[in-house]
Amino acid sequence: MSAGQAFAVVVQRIEIRKLRHGDNLILGFSIGGGIDQDPGQNPFSDDKTDKGIYVTRISQRGPAEEAGLRMGDKIMQVNGWDMTMVTHDQARKRLTKKNEDVVRLLVTRKSLEEAVKHSMGSYPRQ
Amino acid sequence: MEDYDVRSAASILASVKEQEARFEQLTRALEEERRHVNLQLERSNIPPNPPTSQPLAWQQVVMQEQSPSNATSLAMMQEPQEVVEETVTIEEDPGTPTSHVSVVTSDDGTTRRTETKVTKMVKTVTTRTVRQVPLGPDGLPLPEGSSPLGSYTDSIDRRYMKNGGDRFITPQATSTLTRSYNNSYNDSYGETPESQYVRHYGLHDGYADLTENYGSLSRGVNFRPPRYPYLPNSYRPENSYTLPIRKDDYGHVAQPQVPMGSSTVDLNRSQPERFQAEPYGLEDDRRSLGPEEEEPYELEPDYSTANRPLPECPGSPVHSQWYPDEAIEPELIDERHPYIHGMYSAPLALPERGSMASLDRMGGRRSPSIDSMRKDPRWRDPDLPEVIAMLGHPIDPVKSNAAAYLQHLCYENDKIKKDVRQLKGIPVLVGLLDHPKPEVHRKASGALRNISYGKDNDNKVAIKICDGIPALVRLLRKTNDMEVRELITGTLWNLSSYEPLKMVIINHGLQTLTNEVIIPHSGWEHEPNEDSKPRDAEWTTVFKNTSGCLRNVSSDGAEARRRLRECEGLVDALLHALQSAVGKKDMDNKSVENCVCIMRNLSYHVHKEVPGAERFQDPSALQAPGSAGPQRKKKDDAGCFGGKKAKEEWFNQGRKNGENDKNYDTLDLPKRSEPSKGFELLYQPEVVRLYLSLLTESQNYNTLEAAAGALQNLSAGQWTWSNYIRATVRKEKGLPILVELLRSDSDKVVRAVSIALRNLSIDRRNKDLIGSYAMRDLVSNLPSGQQRPAKNLEEDTVVAILNTIHEIVTDSSENARSLAQAQAIEKLVAINRTSQSARETKAASHVLQTVWSYKELRNALTKDGWNKGHFQVQATTPKATKNGKPGYDDTTLPLMEKNQGTGKCGSGDMIPMDELGPDGYSTIDQRDKDCKFKTVDGSVDQTEREPSKNDTNRKHYIRTNRPAVSLVDACDVKPQPVDSWV
Repeated sequence: MSAGQAFAVVVQRIEIRKLRHGDNLILGFSIGGGIDQDPGQNPFSDDKTDKGIYVTRISQRGPAEEAGLRMGDKIMQVNGWDMTMVTHDQARKRLTKKNEDVVRLLVTRKSLEEAVKHSMGSYPRQ
Repeated sequence: MEDYDVRSAASILASVKEQEARFEQLTRALEEERRHVNLQLERSNIPPNPPTSQPLAWQQVVMQEQSPSNATSLAMMQEPQEVVEETVTIEEDPGTPTSHVSVVTSDDGTTRRTETKVTKMVKTVTTRTVRQVPLGPDGLPLPEGSSPLGSYTDSIDRRYMKNGGDRFITPQATSTLTRSYNNSYNDSYGETPESQYVRHYGLHDGYADLTENYGSLSRGVNFRPPRYPYLPNSYRPENSYTLPIRKDDYGHVAQPQVPMGSSTVDLNRSQPERFQAEPYGLEDDRRSLGPEEEEPYELEPDYSTANRPLPECPGSPVHSQWYPDEAIEPELIDERHPYIHGMYSAPLALPERGSMASLDRMGGRRSPSIDSMRKDPRWRDPDLPEVIAMLGHPIDPVKSNAAAYLQHLCYENDKIKKDVRQLKGIPVLVGLLDHPKPEVHRKASGALRNISYGKDNDNKVAIKICDGIPALVRLLRKTNDMEVRELITGTLWNLSSYEPLKMVIINHGLQTLTNEVIIPHSGWEHEPNEDSKPRDAEWTTVFKNTSGCLRNVSSDGAEARRRLRECEGLVDALLHALQSAVGKKDMDNKSVENCVCIMRNLSYHVHKEVPGAERFQDPSALQAPGSAGPQRKKKDDAGCFGGKKAKEEWFNQGRKNGENDKNYDTLDLPKRSEPSKGFELLYQPEVVRLYLSLLTESQNYNTLEAAAGALQNLSAGQWTWSNYIRATVRKEKGLPILVELLRSDSDKVVRAVSIALRNLSIDRRNKDLIGSYAMRDLVSNLPSGQQRPAKNLEEDTVVAILNTIHEIVTDSSENARSLAQAQAIEKLVAINRTSQSARETKAASHVLQTVWSYKELRNALTKDGWNKGHFQVQATTPKATKNGKPGYDDTTLPLMEKNQGTGKCGSGDMIPMDELGPDGYSTIDQRDKDCKFKTVDGSVDQTEREPSKNDTNRKHYIRTNRPAVSLVDACDVKPQPVDSWV
């Protein structure tokens, strides 16, 4: 595979119940990244060609924080939807569905990944 | 919806009838089944009372699943379906339900499952029709139209390989997937499929439960544990295949009994396991679908898991909705879990395997994949020649599956793309574009899109050579399927990034792209209906792709520009779209960026190239060599400009007046008798406001750069319209907006704005204003000697700023004074002496010489500690002016004609454009041309092609780590990371 793949091998599931905030349902975190974004500017990725969706900020005592989401987590799936190959806006929309009270995230974070890398060895890249 | 093709009305009718017939048959079969069970029941003396209110009555629940959208139902109806009905009869001890499951698989990938469930204890027959939706790797239904790639491809190749293709061809004459078939299959693969997916999909059962639509049907259905062992054998083959079995042949055949509970244990995953770490391999499969665009995501909100009640509350209303009979419900719920897996096994098994394969690939072990090794050492992936051979398989679904698999394989894998090309796969894929079956041409488009992406231009050329471009365009005209349109336009976008293909795309596709996509999605109407209010642009993916494609081709030189300008409705539609973007304050998206870039490119050299341009040339600039409109001077063509002669004089008079008494502000624009249209719109003063709005509101650097570039292009040159543009920018209060953008963090925005200011200062009044108000911002962008300012602007930008400063101080001692007061001399001297860049040195030197030429300033300068030596050309600097002429067309100055006339002649020579000439810096110059739009030699315009690509080549580019771009080429990256709260 060429560069750009994230070998997120270990994932964690995080379930966040949205908080009603006026008319809005909020999750309490912000995302960056997406295939339409410049991955070089993503401060969280190791691989600067990774165009995945990352958690960039987490609001204090918000639902995301309480659910255990952390800054820098890479979001792999949202409610089963792949988030590794979506535009920023698609990810945002997927997360902010008005009719969904709960989002289940599949995330990976470095600490988890690390362990796996050790066990799996390095991946050759084309 | 998309799939729906008007032409196929007849076939729809046919298929509806066919379905009706099928249902009739089905009903008969059920009748028979009912009699059969009745008989049994009678024989067995009526078991104890079931918990139903009508103990002895059959309860029949017929569930017709609702399609998630119209699209689905239409898609279902659209083509004659090959249907498989499978009936599974399980007879067991009393107390265990017997169910008859009919699976009707149609060749559009959907499966109708009719289950007749007989529970002796309960005496209940549940009949339902379930439409099997393609399932994503996570077990959730995929959006209609996005293929369950994994399942398709994997199942097909696996079987194909195994059986050498025989099985595909052999018509499965009997509906029931005869036992022998199952067995043979079973023999080959053993338990592989189910255990496989079980491992993976077991995780999802928590999610799986209670979807409102599909969930309650496909999951809540009361299948029994004993049933699922069949699935891998009987159900799955044709589900993933969808092919061989003829609809007419279905009958009602008793199926083998299966011992109960054989592998139930495996299948039941406990809750906690859902959350355990698991290999994450799905991304690859999903990714291979290509970038998912808005529509697929948005189409079926019902799929989203949030609709589903949590597993903890199984008795939700959803249930009663589908199972009106309370009595059945408890049972259903109880048994749901075991059999969820059964339900899911077939479709889900495959993606997982596919993703495992992808993992393998990453690990360098391509095939056989880990799990297949583990499960069955005889299994292997098909190799590439085999997949390509399958593209020519007589059975359509094989073709489409092979194409889908190719798409998957090619994703981000240049080696495979190359191999596909060398194995002559591309012509076959292109041939499939004309295939009548949507599934086939859709998958072929998908594969071509992935193949066309990337740096390897040979792939693009290969598509062109086998006439892929006209084929794509043809399909675009034919299809209404939004996904196919996205794929086609995405492919064309990719192709358009390669120079030699641009003209081909223009020749074959320009008008079609405009008519089919740009105009309808822009909201522009040729002849607006008085009653209807103007429509807004829709920023669809198709529009984005198409505008990206046109953006690329618009940089292919004068002829390309001419074709685009004259393409009927294009400029009108683009302008309308942009105006709509401004109106809605939605200006940061890619489509807007693309549109502005096209507009900028088409505005380039507009004063020379549009028909009749020569009549608007400023007489004072006529001596400029070659400045007259080069091609297509149609004298009569410009009738739309109205009474030319008089107006022209009037223009010129106005201009002269303005120049003489600085009275530009009072200049009125000519009244038009009729609204301008087409390319005239490019340079009407009205566009100034549009660009200024974009410059004010947009956060997208590329859009800002392009809007500034458009103003730059329009304000260049000596013709009547550029005079008006320059004046209009001022009157619309555009100068402060531009000056403000000099503070932008984006290098290219600063550069474009700086050059625009330079062109605008051709207007004397503008020059005075810019000198007074922009000088500090210009100077602050200059580096202090070797030490770069925080912004770290590129050499090109620094040179552009220096040249702009030079233009401003030329013929204006007042401005030169402002420059000195802005502490610029120190910086200029430092650059002149110490800059590593010869171009910067020269540009600075020219400014310094000009400043020193104002004798009235020398006193002040001397007081500040400067002497003549500071303003002289450094000995080491290459002679500038000598080489000046050939290099005059400095990219940073592109549109300014050399002999501006009106007292500027002198200054022309002093402008340090020569550094771009043949003085040893030509390579830099070349590079420069690639990123600006202003050289006179015509090759300039390549600039706009692919900003990001050009940027990557730059040595000194600030962001060295440019992305490799996504699936779509030439999709330059938004400079600013977007960050959204959710």
